[in-house]
Amino acid sequence: MNDNKIIRIALTKGRLEKDTVNLFEKIGYDVSQLRDKGRWLILEVPGSNIEVVLAKAADVLTYVEHGVCDVGVVGKDTIDEHGGRFFEVCDLGFGKCRFALAGKVGYNFYEGCGVKTIATKYPNITRKFFESKAMDVDIVKIEGSVELAPLLELSDGIVDIVETGTTLKENGLEVYEYVSPISARVIVNPVSMKLKKKSIEELIDKMERNI
Amino acid sequence: MKSYDLITPEGTRDLLFDECVARKEAEDKLREIFTAHGYSEVITPALEFYDVFNNKTRSFKQEDMYKLTDGKGRLMVMRPDSTMPIARIVATRLRDGVFPLKLFCSQNIYRCNPKMAGRDDEFMQSGIEIIGGDEKRSDLEVLSLAAQVLNSCSSDDVRLEIGDNTFYKLLLEKLDIDDEETVRSLIESKNTPQLRELIKDSVGSVPEKRRYADILLQLPTLFGGAEVFSKAEKLFAGTALADRLSEFRATFDSLRRLETEDRINVDLGLVNKAEYYTGIVFRGYIEEYGQAVLSGGRYDTLIGSFGADDMPAVGFAVNVNAIAAANLRSNKSAKAKHAQVLVFACDDDLIEGISHCSKLIASGISAEFSTCQTLEAAIEYAKANKICRIDIIDKEKNEQPVTMTL
Repeated sequence: MNDNKIIRIALTKGRLEKDTVNLFEKIGYDVSQLRDKGRWLILEVPGSNIEVVLAKAADVLTYVEHGVCDVGVVGKDTIDEHGGRFFEVCDLGFGKCRFALAGKVGYNFYEGCGVKTIATKYPNITRKFFESKAMDVDIVKIEGSVELAPLLELSDGIVDIVETGTTLKENGLEVYEYVSPISARVIVNPVSMKLKKKSIEELIDKMERNI
Repeated sequence: MKSYDLITPEGTRDLLFDECVARKEAEDKLREIFTAHGYSEVITPALEFYDVFNNKTRSFKQEDMYKLTDGKGRLMVMRPDSTMPIARIVATRLRDGVFPLKLFCSQNIYRCNPKMAGRDDEFMQSGIEIIGGDEKRSDLEVLSLAAQVLNSCSSDDVRLEIGDNTFYKLLLEKLDIDDEETVRSLIESKNTPQLRELIKDSVGSVPEKRRYADILLQLPTLFGGAEVFSKAEKLFAGTALADRLSEFRATFDSLRRLETEDRINVDLGLVNKAEYYTGIVFRGYIEEYGQAVLSGGRYDTLIGSFGADDMPAVGFAVNVNAIAAANLRSNKSAKAKHAQVLVFACDDDLIEGISHCSKLIASGISAEFSTCQTLEAAIEYAKANKICRIDIIDKEKNEQPVTMTL
């Protein structure tokens, strides 16, 4: 019906935001406002039917799930940790890294039958991973540098995002096992997808072609 | 000890005045539609045994239900849905009744949602079921009622979307996929990139399998208007899915004849609750609400799972709270109303005041007996509640009530 309605896109602040803005520029959108955003929270893209909102990763999911934003760009890590009811339609390929189980170099993590302790910022992903191995583990939620936990012997290992592995190496840690790959994804509210089908499909098509 | 006596539990709320009127109005409208079409209302207990909902084909997650125990230590739940209780009734008390049965329910249901997600844990659901009817006729009737329900919402843009999970099930039969649940959830979330990865690994080079794998990959993208069918017809041609597609298209076309065309859509990627639904599945959307407000489908094996003979059944449920909230927000629902007249009686004439109220009400004027002690307080009250007329009863001064207009 009203297929020319504004599409509101939530971007994850920070690196994904920069990559997405570059992608928008490649598509041909006027990204001047997105680059020079000052204190604005809702940004316009002149001459287009899109409007951009900047938010923290987990909030992107919330806004899209409730339909106050139609589309979101967010890391797979956030989707896996928080879940939600939305469509995940496209892998943008940037923001690539991996979830890994890591710990002190030379330690045999799977040895013995004691319950292991894992420090992580991602308790749900950690729980799911060990559930799939039918392993009981104690999970300790850490907010900052997770690498500290095994060094201080709070935990036997960590589950965290690993990009190059440099931080791990420098602290005498190594990857025991990779858990899952991560990259930026496009998510869409299910009702928006149906009610604004044409505009959203056009946008996603443009994004996919310019990756 | 901390006391929680001033707040309501997360996910629940008090509905006051306009909110309450909007909810009642939405509920009454649905009840009107359902009774006018010959559906009989049933009320089931808010407390049910856990077992009613705990069965693989009934697709309720343990962690989504509020649980408690009865006096004998048996596990009970706050009903998370009304269809299971109805199936229980049909399989027991109504098993020798006259079929087809057309039932409807309008009651609160309870779901344990993730914390702080902003979803209701208690909300009113209104829904219908046809049990034991001819498949084609029942599907059409239920779909047309679903369309009417959506049209009765005040929303400018509504959409009824139909799918059929038979296609998905046929495809699974043709491809042996290990991790069906992952495939299902990837189709449901329209995650084609990841689906492609997964299928690539599990399908070999057998040409027939490749063909079916291609179709499976396309399922999430097969949604929209009538154009979807031309795409699907090409894709399904000569496969086991083609016959079912022409039947499904017939249902879709008939429904489009009945309703505003662009309000009826199709989505062949609707594969929610795959163990439960056994044919058509559908959802309704309104512009103002970020999730489906209506959801339903055919579930022919449910009644059988309660120990009765399998019986064809189809139905849907509507989230009444969501519709009421949308109506309220768009200012299209009625407002809470105060009485037209406030009756203030002096100390010696209280009973005359009450009988004057009754007289006014009998003549069709709503009237409220003032419980304020002084006339001044009554006037303040009337102003605050936008009541424009006060009838003052003071027999000492006047035999008849004196009307004061504000």
